[in-house]
Amino acid sequence: MSYFGEIYTGAVSLIAGLGVTGKALFQPTVTVQYPWETIDITPTFRGHIELVTDEETGNFKCICCGLCQLNCPSHCISIKSSKPEGAKKKALDSYMLNFTTCSLCGTCVEGCPADAIKFSDDYNLAGFSREEFYFDLVKRAREEK
Amino acid sequence: MLLSKTKTAIESIFPLEIKEADYARVGYHLEVILDAEKVVSLAKVMMAQGFYLEDVTAIDLNPDMEVIYHYAHTEGCCRVTGRAYTPRHAPEVPTIAGIYSGANWHERETHDFFGITFKDHPYLVPLLLPEDADFHPLVKEDGKVKQLKDIKRAEVKEQAGAPAAGEGKPAPAGGEKGEKA
Amino acid sequence: MKIERNLEEHSLYLNMGPQHPSTHGVLRVILKLDGEYIEEAEPVLGYIHRMHEKMGENRTYAQYLPNMGRVDYLSALSYNQCYVGAVERLTGIAPPPRAEYIRVITTELNRLSSHLLWFGAYVLDLGGFTPFLYSFDDREHILDLLESITGSRLTYCYFRFGGVSKDITDDFITGTRAFIKRLRMHLPMYETLVTKNVIFINRVKEVGIITPEAARRYGVTGPALRGSGIKYDVRKNEPYSIYPEVDFDIPVQDGCDALSRYIVRMLEMEQSMRIIEQALDKLPEGPVMAPKVPKKVKPPKGDCYFAVETARGDFGIYIVSDGTETAYRIKLRTPGFSNLSIFAEISRGTLLQDAISTMGSLDLVIPEIDR
Ligand code: SF4
Ligand code: SF4
Repeated sequence: MSYFGEIYTGAVSLIAGLGVTGKALFQPTVTVQYPWETIDITPTFRGHIELVTDEETGNFKCICCGLCQLNCPSHCISIKSSKPEGAKKKALDSYMLNFTTCSLCGTCVEGCPADAIKFSDDYNLAGFSREEFYFDLVKRAREEK
Repeated sequence: MLLSKTKTAIESIFPLEIKEADYARVGYHLEVILDAEKVVSLAKVMMAQGFYLEDVTAIDLNPDMEVIYHYAHTEGCCRVTGRAYTPRHAPEVPTIAGIYSGANWHERETHDFFGITFKDHPYLVPLLLPEDADFHPLVKEDGKVKQLKDIKRAEVKEQAGAPAAGEGKPAPAGGEKGEKA
Repeated sequence: MKIERNLEEHSLYLNMGPQHPSTHGVLRVILKLDGEYIEEAEPVLGYIHRMHEKMGENRTYAQYLPNMGRVDYLSALSYNQCYVGAVERLTGIAPPPRAEYIRVITTELNRLSSHLLWFGAYVLDLGGFTPFLYSFDDREHILDLLESITGSRLTYCYFRFGGVSKDITDDFITGTRAFIKRLRMHLPMYETLVTKNVIFINRVKEVGIITPEAARRYGVTGPALRGSGIKYDVRKNEPYSIYPEVDFDIPVQDGCDALSRYIVRMLEMEQSMRIIEQALDKLPEGPVMAPKVPKKVKPPKGDCYFAVETARGDFGIYIVSDGTETAYRIKLRTPGFSNLSIFAEISRGTLLQDAISTMGSLDLVIPEIDR
């Protein structure tokens, strides 16, 4: 290609590119200024898991079967339960979730026979130490109430 | 077409070692069970037939490790699996990196994971593991390692004339043809 | 392969990576340079090696599912599909038709998002910043769509043995159709902006030549192979799922260079959109899970191989079962591993700047190579 030919094709492709950019200038903004504006979280969003309480009794639905602990691929759940004096069913003492290793895969939620756990929509999680992400879900659920 | 052509080509060199597999169940059409020294001749046949090498891998078994070569073709659907056996305590097979350049890395990886020595390999140093790694992660502990018969399909029949390399060779699955014959 | 260091010579040894922006992850390439020309190149792998294959031997089949999204985080659903496909082949579980359609729709969306990311990142490697922002804008829509049904944005774990974990919604269907319309409008814009750009063409044309013969020796697959004129796509050659029921083409270019690989991927996006549209039109009603899937998957003894076409090429899983709840051996044959292994050969004697465009055109995802 001749010297001037090259200049010409270069200029054409430059102008074509600038045209695209120019058009985009007059299109609505697609980004959101995060801390000031937020977008809605989809209902299926997978945050860390949380315990579900029974509407009627106000107790946790969990029957302490331990399946979630067994099924979790990352071994990040450990539950402790005991049978209070005179009670028929076991009750949760603590439900520890090590969120640092949780891969949010959903195996625990799907495998739970009592539908006692669900994903929360909590995404504003930040902390200064690892220990802040060892959640006791029983405590967390009580605090929320 | 492709399958029968390949079968004839392999059969001319490995008449006893070749078996047809049930494609719908195992995902490959032909299985060639070889002595360790013959993997190079299989690679040559596959190269001549226009196959490419999918991977080289192994399974830790007692007493012989199984080294596996997966070949596939770009013009149709034909997959060939080559299997060779080599003693677990001193695993060694010849390299096919001279024929399939891509095997170079696959063999290095298999060397990393299983400690298999690929004879005459140009550059057999750890690829995925650290340079000074002295362990082979996929070699099973002595209690956990199984025998060949523990991982083969149930309909195992002793096949007369199969090459001597461990027991319980898989029989051709009922002689059924692969889907895309 | 091995670079011998000879300090007497007047060669320059350059470490590209492990923290180099154009390797898109932790890959290190040792380059032996003579001026600006590459004499030898040696990729050094293993910086992000996690031994997924060993994990497969220690976890039950269901517990291994989330691993798949982490092997190749850009086309996680193809990996999901391959793994469930392999286990289904081994156990004989047959997913219902609706589930198969949903699998294909979501996987193709995932392929689009992977190609869009590659497009943006590739042009970014070559010094063009703007297209990256446009392609991420488009990709964001796919992530939103997939998030609305799978719950995650990147490392999906959506397929189950015998189906998918959740049915798709009407919103998802209308959203997908709207997105396809949008992307169809945007693709010509990408063409004006990048494909026809003189600087871009000069950087990629006749760079990183992969001859069909070399491609076969190294086992190169995917768009990198189709850019060398070989029409090989697992979706057509070895049809799985519902791919035989939809009509699509395999784009092939025979330039063997980075430009051909680029064009193949751009054309593939249109084909993926065609597949999604047809699958949405034909989407049957019914359940999304097979009725009788055992809680504990326990395949019979035996082995099986299953391959799918991911955004980067032929991905295969070889499972050996010993009849227990965990696999005896899981081998992941990842396309990037073979595709990268050719790099040493094709970069020999080329310019250093061409190494960047060659590497980018192979579409490397390092976690998938290191596994
Ligand atoms: S989501 Fe997965 S990794 Fe996290 S706690 Fe549940 S089972 Fe474990
Ligand atoms: S599986 Fe459900 S019911 Fe059982 S222990 Fe876990 S949360 Fe409780």
